[in-house]
Amino acid sequence: MTMPTTGLPSAEVTRPRTVLVGTMFASAASMMVFFGVLLVYITERAQARALHRDWFPEGRIELGPSGFVFATLILSIFTVRWAVQAINNDDRPNTFVALGLSGLFGAAVFNQLWFILNDVGFALAGGTGQFMFFMVNGTFIVFMIAAVAFIFLTFLRGLIGHFGPQKAESVAAAAFYWNTVVTMWFIAWYVIYVTK
Amino acid sequence: MTMIDSPPATAQATAVSSPAAAGLYDFLATTDHKRIGRIWLTAGVFALIGAVVLGVLLGLERLDSGGLDIFAGENPHFQIWALYRFGLALLVVAPLFIGLATVIVPMQVGSTNIAFPRAALAAAWGFLIGAGILVVAVAAGGGWGAVDRATPRELDSIALTLVGMGLVVVSILLASLCLATTVVSLRVKGMTLLRTPLFAWSMLVTSAVWLLTLPILLANLAIAYVDLRGGPGTFTGGVDGSTAIFTQLEWLVEQPQVYSFAIPALGILGSIVAVSAGVRPSRHGLSLGLIGFFGLLSIGGWSQPFFQFDPGANVAYDEKFVFIAFGLLAIVPVLASFAPVADSLARGRDNLGGSPPAHLLGALAGALLLSVGAAAGVARVIEPFRLGGRITVSGVMNLVLLGAVVSAVAGIWFWSAKIGGRTLSPLMGRLAILDLVGGALLLGGAQAISGFLETSDDPRVPVVEDAADILSIVSLVGAVLVALGALGVLAAIVSALRSGRTTEADPWGGHTLEWATATPPPAGNFAEAPGLVMSEAPLLDAREQTSAEGEDS
Repeated sequence: MTMPTTGLPSAEVTRPRTVLVGTMFASAASMMVFFGVLLVYITERAQARALHRDWFPEGRIELGPSGFVFATLILSIFTVRWAVQAINNDDRPNTFVALGLSGLFGAAVFNQLWFILNDVGFALAGGTGQFMFFMVNGTFIVFMIAAVAFIFLTFLRGLIGHFGPQKAESVAAAAFYWNTVVTMWFIAWYVIYVTK
Repeated sequence: MTMIDSPPATAQATAVSSPAAAGLYDFLATTDHKRIGRIWLTAGVFALIGAVVLGVLLGLERLDSGGLDIFAGENPHFQIWALYRFGLALLVVAPLFIGLATVIVPMQVGSTNIAFPRAALAAAWGFLIGAGILVVAVAAGGGWGAVDRATPRELDSIALTLVGMGLVVVSILLASLCLATTVVSLRVKGMTLLRTPLFAWSMLVTSAVWLLTLPILLANLAIAYVDLRGGPGTFTGGVDGSTAIFTQLEWLVEQPQVYSFAIPALGILGSIVAVSAGVRPSRHGLSLGLIGFFGLLSIGGWSQPFFQFDPGANVAYDEKFVFIAFGLLAIVPVLASFAPVADSLARGRDNLGGSPPAHLLGALAGALLLSVGAAAGVARVIEPFRLGGRITVSGVMNLVLLGAVVSAVAGIWFWSAKIGGRTLSPLMGRLAILDLVGGALLLGGAQAISGFLETSDDPRVPVVEDAADILSIVSLVGAVLVALGALGVLAAIVSALRSGRTTEADPWGGHTLEWATATPPPAGNFAEAPGLVMSEAPLLDAREQTSAEGEDS
C-alpha cells in the first residue's frame, strides 16, 4: 500500500548546489591525505631531532625557489576569484581569461617544483628525511594535477556553453578546490622549506 | 569526477517507467542508484561468506597455536589473520552499509537519484576490482609485510596488496562522497537536517567520518608503497622479518576507528524500532545528537604510533589521555541510544505481536553487540588491565564489526521490498540473526575475556594459561555459528530471489519517504513529487491527516 502524499503541498524545487557540496567533501578528504603524509613527516623529523640525527643535509633546501611557488600560488588565488566574479556577472571573456591564467600558474608551479626536486639533489632511498621530502612534495603535486584538471575541465565546459550567471556553481567549485590545494602548499612550505 | 556527471537529480517528480534490463551494457553502466546499491550489497554478502570461513580457519589454528598446521607456516597465518581483520571492515561491513544506503538514502530524502551517479557507479566497480586485487595479492604470497624472508615475487605481491587496498579505500571514499552530498544537497523541501531520517543521518555521519579518516589510511598506504618500491625501508622495516606495514595500518580496525564502521547500526536501530512499534519516533533530535556524538568519538586516524609527537616521553599512544577518554566515552552514546528505543517500544507495546520480526530482532541484537563491544573497549583502555596488544583488541573488533553486520542484515530484511522487490523469509531471518548474534558473542566475548589471561593478539604467540585454550574452543564455536548465520543470510536471499514473488509497497507501515515509492521502486523513484515534509515521519503525518479527515467527514 503506497501512502498518499498528494494532499500535501508540492515540493518547491531549489538549486541543490550539489557540485559545490561534493567538492567541499572532496577537498576535506584531499586535505586529510595531505595531513596524513605531513604528520608522518613532522613525527619522523621530531624523532630524528630528539636522537640528534641529521634530517636534511645542511644547506640543500633553499627558500628562494619555494618562495617563487608561494608567490605564484598567491597570484592564482586572485585569478580564480576573478573567474568566479566574472561568471557571476555573465562576463564570459573575463571568465576564460581568468581560468586560463589560473591554469598557466598551475603549469608554472609544476615547472618550479621540477626545478626544486632536481636542485636539492636528494635520493628517494637517501634516508627518512629525503624520502619524506619527496612524499610531501609528491602528494602536493598529485593534488595540484587534480586542481589543474578541474580548472581545465571547467574551462572546456564554459567554452561549450555550460555556464552562465545562473549556473556558476562549477566555477566556484573549481575555485574552492584550487584554494584548498594552495593552502596545502602554504602549510608544506612553512613545515618543509621554512622550518626544514 | 564532478565535471562529467549529468546534472544532479532534484526532488522533482520525474519518475519514468522502469525500463526492462537492457543487457550487459545496462548492468555495467547503470546510473540507477538502486542497481548500484545492489552491486555493493552482493559484494558485501559474498565477502561476508569468505570472511567467516577465514574466521573458522583462524579459530581452528588458535586451538594449537604452536603447531600452525592449517596455514603451513607463520607468514601465511599472519597474512590471513590480517586479511580477516581488514576484510571484515573494508570488504564486508563497509560495502554492506554503503549498498544499503545507496539504495535507501536517496529515497529517504525524497530524491530521484543519488548525487553523482556515475561516480557512485565508478566507486562500486572500483571496489570490486580493488577487492579482487587485494585477495589475489594475499593469495599470491603478499600481505602486510613478511614474517620470514620475502622472495622478489612476494615483494611484488605485497606491493599489489597495498594497491588493491588503496583502490578499495578510494572507492569507499568516492561512495561516501556521493552519499554525504545526497543527504546534504538533495533533501526534499521541508526536510531540514533535524528532520532527516535516522538512517540517512547516520550515513551522513559515517560518510563524514570516513572522509576525514580513511584518507589518512590512504596516506599510510602511499608511504608504505613508495618505501617498499624504492625508499629507505623506514616504514616497511625492510620487509624481511617485519610486520611494520601492518603496524602502520592496524589503527583502522582498532578503537576508536573501528566504531566508525558501526555508526549506521544506531541509525538502523532508530529507524526500525519506531516503525515496528507503530509509534512516532521518540526524541528524534536526541537520537541525531547521539549518533553525531558517537561519530565524533570514532574518529581514529590520529591513534597510530606514527603520529607520536613526543618521542622522548616514552608513553605509548594507547596510554595517552585522549585515547583513553575516547575509549571510555564511546559507550555513552551507544547505551543512551537505547533510551528513545525503549520509550518507543513501551509506547507501542500493543502493536508488537508475539515473536518479533527479524528486522527488529536484528536491529536490537546488532546494537546490543555494539554495546558489548564498546564495554570491552572500556576495559581495553583501563590501564591496570594492560590489555593493549592482547587478544581483547580482536574481541572488541569482532563484537563491533559483527554487530554492524547483524544491523546491516536487519536493514536488508527491513528494506528488502525496496532493494529487490521481495520480502525475505522472517523465519530464516530470525534463525540467521540468532546464529550471528550467538556466534559473535561467543567469538568476541571469549577473545575479550582471554585478554585478561595474557593471551596475545599476535596469532603466532602461544597462549600463556590453560584456561585460554578453553576460551579458544569457545571462540571457535562462535566462529562456526557466525559462519552458519552468514550462510543462512545467503540462503534466505537466494530463496527470495528464486521465489519471484514481489511484495506490497509498504509492508511495515513505514514512516519515511522510501515507503511512498512503488515496489520495486521505478527509475526516478517517485510517481509524484513528495509533499512538503513537516516532520521526521512524513508518511505518518500523511496517515494521521487522512485519518483526521476521515473522522471529520
